Amino acid sequence: MKSPSLSPLGLALSLTFTGISFGSTEATQATSTEPVGEVVAAVIEGLSSETAEDVTKSFVRVNATLQSFNAGQPWQRNSPTSRSGLGTIISKTEILITAEMVANQTYLELRSADNFERVQAEVVAIDYKANLALIKPTKEGSFIDKLPALELGGPAEIGDQATIWQLESTGTPLQTLTTIRSVDTSSTFLPGNSFLTYILRGSMQSASSSFTLPTVRDGKFLGLLTSYDSDDQTSEVIAPEIIATFLRDARDGSYKGFPTLGCATQSIEDLIFRDYLGLSEDSGGLFITRVQEDSPADIAGLEKGDVLLSVDGQRIDRRGYFKHPRYGLLPWTAIIRNDKIVGDEIKLSFFRDGEEKSTEATLAAAPAQLVPSHIHDSPPPFYIKGGLVFQELSRSYLTAFGDKWSTRAPLSLLHALENPTDYEDSRDHIVFLSRVIPTPITVGYDGFGGIVVDSVNDVAIRNINDLAAALQEKPSNGIHKIELAGATPTLYLDAQYSDLIDKNFLEQGFPLLSRIPERPDSLKKQAAQLESKEIESETPAPTPEATDEIAEEKRAS
Amino acid sequence: MLLRTLLTASLFSASLIPFNLSAETTVSSSSDEVRSQEEAIFDSVLRIEVSTLNPDYRTPWNTGGLGGGNGTGFLIGPNQILTNAHVVSNARRILVTRRNSASKLAATISFIAHDCDLALLTLDDPSAISDLTPLEIGGMPALDSEVRAIGYPVGGDRLSVTRGIVSRIDFRPYSHSRADSHLVIQVDAAINPGNSGGPAIQGGKIIGVAFQGLTQADNTGYIIPTPVIRRFLTDIEDGTYDQYVDLGATTFPLFNPTMRKALGLKDDGRGVLVTSILPEGPCDGLLEVDDILLTIDGKEIDSAGNINVDGETLVLHEIVERKFAGDTIILDIIRNGSKETVSATLKPLPGSNIRSIVYDKRPEYLIYGGLVFQPLTLNAQSAHRLTDVTTRKLTADYLSEGIFEEKPQIIFLTRIENDELTSTLPRVKGRILNSVNGESVRDMKHLKQLLYESSQPEFTAFELEATHRPLVLPSDEVEAATQRIMARNSITNPFFIQD
Repeated sequence: MKSPSLSPLGLALSLTFTGISFGSTEATQATSTEPVGEVVAAVIEGLSSETAEDVTKSFVRVNATLQSFNAGQPWQRNSPTSRSGLGTIISKTEILITAEMVANQTYLELRSADNFERVQAEVVAIDYKANLALIKPTKEGSFIDKLPALELGGPAEIGDQATIWQLESTGTPLQTLTTIRSVDTSSTFLPGNSFLTYILRGSMQSASSSFTLPTVRDGKFLGLLTSYDSDDQTSEVIAPEIIATFLRDARDGSYKGFPTLGCATQSIEDLIFRDYLGLSEDSGGLFITRVQEDSPADIAGLEKGDVLLSVDGQRIDRRGYFKHPRYGLLPWTAIIRNDKIVGDEIKLSFFRDGEEKSTEATLAAAPAQLVPSHIHDSPPPFYIKGGLVFQELSRSYLTAFGDKWSTRAPLSLLHALENPTDYEDSRDHIVFLSRVIPTPITVGYDGFGGIVVDSVNDVAIRNINDLAAALQEKPSNGIHKIELAGATPTLYLDAQYSDLIDKNFLEQGFPLLSRIPERPDSLKKQAAQLESKEIESETPAPTPEATDEIAEEKRAS
Repeated sequence: MLLRTLLTASLFSASLIPFNLSAETTVSSSSDEVRSQEEAIFDSVLRIEVSTLNPDYRTPWNTGGLGGGNGTGFLIGPNQILTNAHVVSNARRILVTRRNSASKLAATISFIAHDCDLALLTLDDPSAISDLTPLEIGGMPALDSEVRAIGYPVGGDRLSVTRGIVSRIDFRPYSHSRADSHLVIQVDAAINPGNSGGPAIQGGKIIGVAFQGLTQADNTGYIIPTPVIRRFLTDIEDGTYDQYVDLGATTFPLFNPTMRKALGLKDDGRGVLVTSILPEGPCDGLLEVDDILLTIDGKEIDSAGNINVDGETLVLHEIVERKFAGDTIILDIIRNGSKETVSATLKPLPGSNIRSIVYDKRPEYLIYGGLVFQPLTLNAQSAHRLTDVTTRKLTADYLSEGIFEEKPQIIFLTRIENDELTSTLPRVKGRILNSVNGESVRDMKHLKQLLYESSQPEFTAFELEATHRPLVLPSDEVEAATQRIMARNSITNPFFIQD
């Protein structure tokens, strides 16, 4: 089980939003500051096969200015925060860093170890779930071109030694020798998305506040360190297999993202339930609790109530683990999210009606979600009319309610997050009235917020594009009609007056009154046909977390 | 801001003075003489001391916790002592003490109304207070007029009198049930724990019962006004306390000019919009969503939902507040542009246990092979801290979506007790029970019938909300497991279900 107390290096990563103002405050709690005396001794002893010159020339400082959007006032960004980390040059135009380092970046800069040289950089590919990003300098001929690339190493064995590299502010390299203690899966950035992770053991002195550090084994790049726990003296490192798969996908020009199977499962350690299902006590298998429509699992014929016995030839035990030839027991999702890519075929066997059956599935990228799990780097869609602010629901909107967001956020919106299937037939996204900015025409509507929109001018609302289109059309009686879900009254807005108020908003300094994403007319129908094509490299479509969330839940129990 | 009820709480103490059943009248020596009216009023205000047994909704088969406290009450008729419901809720023993007396007189509850926080007590031996003058119930005081609060608050053992003025007359929540709102009088007289149940006096008459304060504001004491008291006294005339009735419809103010225009209304500041109607409620089939309410029992409703009663501006519910089950109410409405008149017969809201705190009742439960089931009451919800979205949504929709019609009680799995039978079951708790062996469960009686009064298939399957797979037990091993768990936890009965 993953230690709950793992914390990122240096500055804590959590940006907390509190109160109605949604103002951001960066937590400035310094972690992992251990006494350094003994550590230094260990470091000196730990000088192994590689010398500093060999590898450290391939490390480059990455400084990012991050600005997320304000959840409550989506037309503006929150105050900027900055992060720094150590990227690894793997080719002249490829610098590997974590997604966490560059998510929501507005300015990205590479600096030499001594801080004397610098060049602006841009993101080439990013995977928020795997917490990986590829960046490159915006222009050729920078100092980067003179630096050597570090060769990527293959998977390591448990017990192998690995070196964590840091740069002091002067540019002096600092290395920490560690041992690979175990291999597990872990979510290092977005919750509920676990990927293969090496757990390294070794006491580390924190030389710089860094969000990402390179790890090297036998003079070759091993993985990216995402967190260090000073209590346990353990670090989490994104495994080489995940990096290799990410690069394989990113280098072909269109990044598709890690594939999914599209089913949610529960472990069956409950012996009575095994007996009830007709499964033997000592066999394995996972109970399938949900199969996503049109997902690889659905197309392969899996159904809710089936018991998944093996994936890609690997038998799954009753806790949901399989025996990895190199690392031992790992959660079954590591079979799919390891070296597989979209389009790969895998064999599945399952138990139904008292017998074992088999089928094949073609892995696909995760489909768009009703409520996206995050909106990093994609500005939140919104539309303002006469003071009514409409938004599309994302998990990020809900988590902006602070630590207790799961009880503080509006109940109807939380319900949509937890029960997407209740809404998916009639909606592609949840469009809701997020707040009312008091204007002369919103008298009586003030205080409304967190209410799902059903229709506007008698047009059903599937997404914010529908809402924008409906409100841009002149209503026949000159009054916009907005029907809301639940026992809330239908709201009416004078069309002409609201246009005037909108103009007034712009004069008052609102930078924009809407942000409408470009979408095909009928997103849902076409999504199935386009599937893998339409996913841009900057913003991979968010995946459903169901599979992993349940896997996590099971592991925690 | 938090409302606090004004009952002094103290842990159960064994050092209580034994009470005297002979109840000698120790202060009556001068009672034949002409006493001032003031003295008579003071004498009729009584100290009430209560020992309580508070049910444990976490472990419903346990006796619960012992506690106690004291409050105030006053005589309103022969052997009729009015106090707050919260003073005597969950009481095991009630003792009444007269002013300047050491005798503790045993009392019992005749009527208790948790929805308006009032109770009527009687002494086991009425002769002990037969010499006292019942206080006269007056009317509504004027704003800014002076009132006195009399009682036995903290800070001493003797009678306390404080003075203040009527600061506000409003329709506010009554914190005792956590679900009801009625008319209140706000005063700036010091009202403190222990004042609860004591009278507020103006011109020698009662104008209310002190009952709650605000914890985060100064000089805000709340008093239950006489219309609420009179309603309570009228309600119990037939020998039982029923409940408040409800209109069973929600309304929305019609301030917005465009909204008024769209609904075809003049901008005359009149009328409210009907936004929901309770299924099976008084207005079901009579009102429709989007109707506009113009008058209630002939009183004009303004666009904020207020009416004028005796010169006071009050919410329109105030008309319903003063009526009883079976009474009718006349509503003038506009529907689709034409005026209509509707007559509705009032009744109480169903499923009050889900919305309001329950007192004076033993918690219901049922144990089956280690699975512990309880009905979803507000008490259980607070005790088990059920804050998940499914439970909250169900509670929110219980009335408006008519869930109460199918499920008079919502049952949830409290927890699974450890036993050799249950040790490999998933550790689910706080999940709502939908059905047993495919049959939807209506209430606790039905659950008992399904589990204890019918033969089971090989496996008993429980379908729980948001669990994705049934929880199953091998039926023939259940009884032995239930017995083991009962022995281990000193549980005498596998279920307790109210009649």
